[in-house]
Amino acid sequence: MTISQVLFIVISLVVLGGGVMVVTARNLFHAALFLIVSFFGVTGLYVLLDAGFFAAAQFLVYIGAISILIIFAVMLTRGVQLAQPANSQWPAALVVSVIVFAIMALMLGPVAVTIGQRQFGSVSWPNVVEGQPAPAVPDDHLVRLGQSFVDFNQYGAAFLLTAVLILVAMVGAIWVARDRALKDVMEERAELAAEEAQEAMLAGPVQQPLPLAETRSAEAPAASVAHH
Amino acid sequence: MLNGIPLYWFLLVSAALFCIGLYGVLARKNAIAILMGVELMLNAVNINLLAFWRYVAPNAAAGLAFAAFIFVIAAAEAAIGLALMISVYRNTQSVDPDKLDSMKL
Repeated sequence: MTISQVLFIVISLVVLGGGVMVVTARNLFHAALFLIVSFFGVTGLYVLLDAGFFAAAQFLVYIGAISILIIFAVMLTRGVQLAQPANSQWPAALVVSVIVFAIMALMLGPVAVTIGQRQFGSVSWPNVVEGQPAPAVPDDHLVRLGQSFVDFNQYGAAFLLTAVLILVAMVGAIWVARDRALKDVMEERAELAAEEAQEAMLAGPVQQPLPLAETRSAEAPAASVAHH
Repeated sequence: MLNGIPLYWFLLVSAALFCIGLYGVLARKNAIAILMGVELMLNAVNINLLAFWRYVAPNAAAGLAFAAFIFVIAAAEAAIGLALMISVYRNTQSVDPDKLDSMKL
């Protein structure tokens, strides 16, 4: 056993153990914390794969941003946090997952298995020789990655499309999660202002109508998200 | 760093992580937990992409580029999915996908 192998096994146990806790934890907040544990283990796997840049990106994007987003969502939907963790079809889901894993392990594993006429397992990948070290990573692999993003013969178009996708997704997320439609807010404010103007007219010229800002702040607490 | 680790170890771990995520997506009663399962599945895909990059084609940028695209798409998916869940919760006080059947005939 080399040190790398021991590290791999430990990190894999962290990843898979965290993953199992994510899908079985009763408390959704604990599930979100175990998701961070699992992401952290995946960071370690990237380090083992000599992909340091992606380890850092995993740390920043998944642990720093996505899990915080998930924890926010868990807290904003707090009333249902402790609900039953699994639905009624969980035994079927477990069977399906185990079967899918068995098929994938059969296909990818090192042991050749013959079922009927077909042989599965012990796939030979190009450049992968059993017992030989993997080819060395070139020192400029990140330079090549960056150049492939700006080269329209490689991934330039895909890179631009991805940038548009994330922009549209962010604007869409803000629009979907907004408190109320802006149109409704404006209509309500106009109605309130009209009512007050009418009242002020009936009461006489001495009484001034409430400023718009005060009516807005008076209705604001009712419109904000209820948290328990 | 790869001293003595065969490629199929990575493939088996990522297959296992994918199936754990699949179980979460199929069996959880809470839509946010389902999104967590999807995140696990995307992570499994990324492990696979980077493992194949490292072992099969470390000189090509393809594996790294695809992994970077998966990162961006996972971020977009999480933002949209969680915004939808917050919106649904605000309207129905529930994030149980079994109860969101108002579009059923």
